[in-house]
Amino acid sequence: MTNHWIDMANADVIMVCGSNVVENHPIAAKWLQRAREKGARILSVDPRYTRTSSFADLYCKMRSGTDIALVGGMINYALENGRIHHNYVVSYTNAPFIVSKNFNFHEGLFSGYDPATRSYGGSSWAFEMDEKGIPRQDPTLQHERCVFQLMKKHFARYNPETVCNVTGAPRDVFDKICNIYTATCEPDKAGTWLYAMGATQSTHGTQNIRAYAILQLLLGNIGVAGGGVNALRGESNVQGSTDMALLYHILPGYLKSPEQKDKTLEEYLKNYTPVTKDPESANWWGNTPKYLVSLLKAWYGDFAGPENEFAFQYLPKRSSDCSYMSLFESMSEGSIEGLVLFGQNPAVSGPNVGKEREALSRLKWMVAVDLFETETAAFWKRPGQDPKAVSTEVFLLPAASSLEKEGSITNSGRWAQWRYRAVEPPGDARPDLWTLDSLHKAVKAEYQAGGVFPEPITRLSWDYGGDTLMGPDVHRIAREINGYFTQNAEIKGKQFVRGQQVPSFASLADDGSTCSGNWLYCGSYPGDKKTDNRMARRGTEDAPNHIGLYPGWAWCWPVNRRILYNRASVDEQGRPWNPAKYVIKWDPHLKKWAGDVPDGGWPPGIRHPFIMKPDGYGCLWAGGLKDGPLPEHYEPFESPVNNLFSPQQNDPAVSLRYRAATGSIPFGTPNLFPVVATTYRMTEHWQSGAMTRNTPWLAELVPNMFAELGEELAREKGIKNGDRIIVESARGRVEVYALVSPRFSPFALSGKIVHQIGLVWHFGYEGLATGDSANLLTPDIGDPNTMIPEYKAFLCRVSKA
Amino acid sequence: MMKGILADTTRCIGCRGCQVACKQQHDLDAQKTLFFWGDGYQNPPHRTAETWNLVTFNDARSENGYEWVFGRRQCFHCMEPACVAACPVEALKKTPEGPVVYDTSRCIGCRYCQIVCPFNAPRFEWNKRVPEIRKCNMCADRMARGEHPACTVTCATGALLFGDRKALLAEAWTRIKKDPDRYVNHIYGENEVGGTCVLHLAKVPFERIGYPAGLSDAPFPNQIKTAMHAIPYAMTGMAAVFGGLAWIINRRMSAEEKDGQEENDS
Repeated sequence: MTNHWIDMANADVIMVCGSNVVENHPIAAKWLQRAREKGARILSVDPRYTRTSSFADLYCKMRSGTDIALVGGMINYALENGRIHHNYVVSYTNAPFIVSKNFNFHEGLFSGYDPATRSYGGSSWAFEMDEKGIPRQDPTLQHERCVFQLMKKHFARYNPETVCNVTGAPRDVFDKICNIYTATCEPDKAGTWLYAMGATQSTHGTQNIRAYAILQLLLGNIGVAGGGVNALRGESNVQGSTDMALLYHILPGYLKSPEQKDKTLEEYLKNYTPVTKDPESANWWGNTPKYLVSLLKAWYGDFAGPENEFAFQYLPKRSSDCSYMSLFESMSEGSIEGLVLFGQNPAVSGPNVGKEREALSRLKWMVAVDLFETETAAFWKRPGQDPKAVSTEVFLLPAASSLEKEGSITNSGRWAQWRYRAVEPPGDARPDLWTLDSLHKAVKAEYQAGGVFPEPITRLSWDYGGDTLMGPDVHRIAREINGYFTQNAEIKGKQFVRGQQVPSFASLADDGSTCSGNWLYCGSYPGDKKTDNRMARRGTEDAPNHIGLYPGWAWCWPVNRRILYNRASVDEQGRPWNPAKYVIKWDPHLKKWAGDVPDGGWPPGIRHPFIMKPDGYGCLWAGGLKDGPLPEHYEPFESPVNNLFSPQQNDPAVSLRYRAATGSIPFGTPNLFPVVATTYRMTEHWQSGAMTRNTPWLAELVPNMFAELGEELAREKGIKNGDRIIVESARGRVEVYALVSPRFSPFALSGKIVHQIGLVWHFGYEGLATGDSANLLTPDIGDPNTMIPEYKAFLCRVSKA
Repeated sequence: MMKGILADTTRCIGCRGCQVACKQQHDLDAQKTLFFWGDGYQNPPHRTAETWNLVTFNDARSENGYEWVFGRRQCFHCMEPACVAACPVEALKKTPEGPVVYDTSRCIGCRYCQIVCPFNAPRFEWNKRVPEIRKCNMCADRMARGEHPACTVTCATGALLFGDRKALLAEAWTRIKKDPDRYVNHIYGENEVGGTCVLHLAKVPFERIGYPAGLSDAPFPNQIKTAMHAIPYAMTGMAAVFGGLAWIINRRMSAEEKDGQEENDS
């Protein structure tokens, strides 16, 4: 999130689009309730009327996979009606930037497209540079090739008629949504945008979020209290997990993981360290060398030095796509021997799980570290599988739950909150740290006895103490993540000794004098004692601006700054746009900032506020994405209708390599599969259901797998509430209960009636409450930038069982 | 000071945390079912001896369109409980703090409380060999320790508020007055059956979300009392009437017999 949970209470309008917040993050409803008591209005945009819609003030129906059409329509509304925060847009976004004259957009494709490789190339999306090497700007926003004008032209096609024909949203409700939400363009009004998997799990997921960000920037809603583009993460510590790089394409702190083309440290740093010629751009990622070298020092200690490129060559270099779907593709082909799963249940939660479950049988061995025997751990004896036909050796290791171990959990608001061990783990259950530590020690012993290229393992700096029962001392690890000085140093007149904790990432260096396991967490544990652990703080006093920052409660990254990009919440003299809810403000007498930690301590007006972008400006135009500098509506890969906006039916950069590789085409067409389907979650169950379907009180609430369908479709098919039905897609088939409800109603798309149904995806064949897995139906095709699968919009057919 | 719970269903998100918190607090069993019941995810279908507090899912259709409204079924902890008046062995008791508690060691399973309760709160242990009555006790044991009922502690939005009944009523009226479009102009439980300690607010008419309608404001004990108190008089009266009748008939029969005998004698 750019903001945080409590900050939602500061919003004037809360837009829930791409999320079902009250359902899946019920505690957040507390903050929405507080906002409402102060007069805020809550808008729910969803294909289905959900528990959030029940809580909201206005519900707008929208077909799955059409976010860009709807939000594009809102952007058009804002631009046509002058509902923008003009000063903010001119000064803080790249609206005035002038784009290359080679840029073009035609029939759904941006310039530079190569259909053979399904990718964009060239430099037609780049900005025109002036003689200083800084993008040329027109602050009057009139130049025909300035971003603002190109955007106006692009989104002029998103008129309300077309938008409603594509999304199926009722016109009067859509108009209301536009009016209510864009009213937050006023400097003293803020709108917050809450999104989750509904937005991201799409072949154009990245562009969905881009659309939200563009609208929020136009309205001046980034960096302010009650604003932001706020991802509601689906697991209590998944933010922590991505921070620590449990994704294939990054290193801790969102540094890029090296690819084969990054042959040396120098090349790597050159490839990924952005540069700017603008002295007013902080270009914070320009510090990449300091963070990367400090990371390598944390990992390899004295074995990392200038003489060996700080052990850069010990890092694995990937060959490009090692995403989740790619992994299972390789597994199907037999090229992956072993799989280690930590609290992961792909047999239920992946796309096209029929294929995934078969792929698992090609493994030689599997280690599942979990609280329960999950569907994945039990894949070899699943219904319909003869165990004798599977030769995979499966090890099931019991894991300690989050209440049985100590450590930090980082929430969606980037707050790292320290947790303690409340009870001992039962039996042989162990914390993950113990398991990883034991695994490392065993692997290291093997490498010390022989093996190819042992140094990356044997030379790892791995000394975390602890005991044989609970494993390493989590405090030592947390302190290394914060980082310490590897030698005596002097920074701005202050002396530090070797071994001393680093106070903040401003002190990290690229010469090997510092180490830090994750630059974002530098400052979380700035001293040696447990009392220095800032993540463990529980101060309940709010900051003087009383907007719910609670700076003394736990610690958030970066440097305990609760609202990101907060320099955009003030004008160039440092005066807040909204003094009543100021995030930061400049005191010209004391020459200091008050409020939240400012996003860079420089005095006002001398640095552009979006410090993580090379040029310092919020991106209305984003030339670095694989599928376009501006969002454009494309249909989901399986869609019941043709794209009304252009002849380009789907996102042109989506990779089709699996299609080509397998030869078969497991994608459905509307003549065979006329109904739109989506998957979703419920309050009562969680993720693949391993924990919740094994809890009797939760299994009691939701005992069985079901698909929800509207009354009209049910009547057509002769289905009554509680009947058993079959739902099929091009990939699989499930038999489930029918929940017939008024919460789905047909979409009128240019006069054509299209039905949509939804399935919860929490079910599988293990546990107390069992049922068919919805992901037997979903397509394994993903977003070109992130490879996230399109779980949220596909085609199916429905019939009585 | 009598305590109560204000259930503002307009703040309810239907998460059923309260339903589960109650089960956890009182170590109640889960019931095995096949599927939901009613207009949504309601489950188990009804309150039972093992489910004291049930969130209901209601499709509310009106000229404003469709709304999904969540309601709640639990013991209302009446100010003058019918169950307490009806229990022949005084197993049920209204405490001054508010909760209507019960002593399972006294319960004889006669189910009179179940029959008189207008809210259907007491539930019977059908599957036990020595069955008793069970129902919500407003976590009286937690209250005795200075804690709040488990359901109110769990509720994230503050839809369930615990406090002094008078203060809760004042708060409820404040909410209604501040937001008249949002609330039905009524606090359910303020006066029904003499007033209850569990009070409800809603955005649709209460009978549309399953709350018993047409309850008079007169406390049930008063209504039962008349009938119950009349029983001794009725019994005595009936004894007198039938005794009198019997005496008259007897006299006639013996007079007839005597007549018959006299006839035979002449």
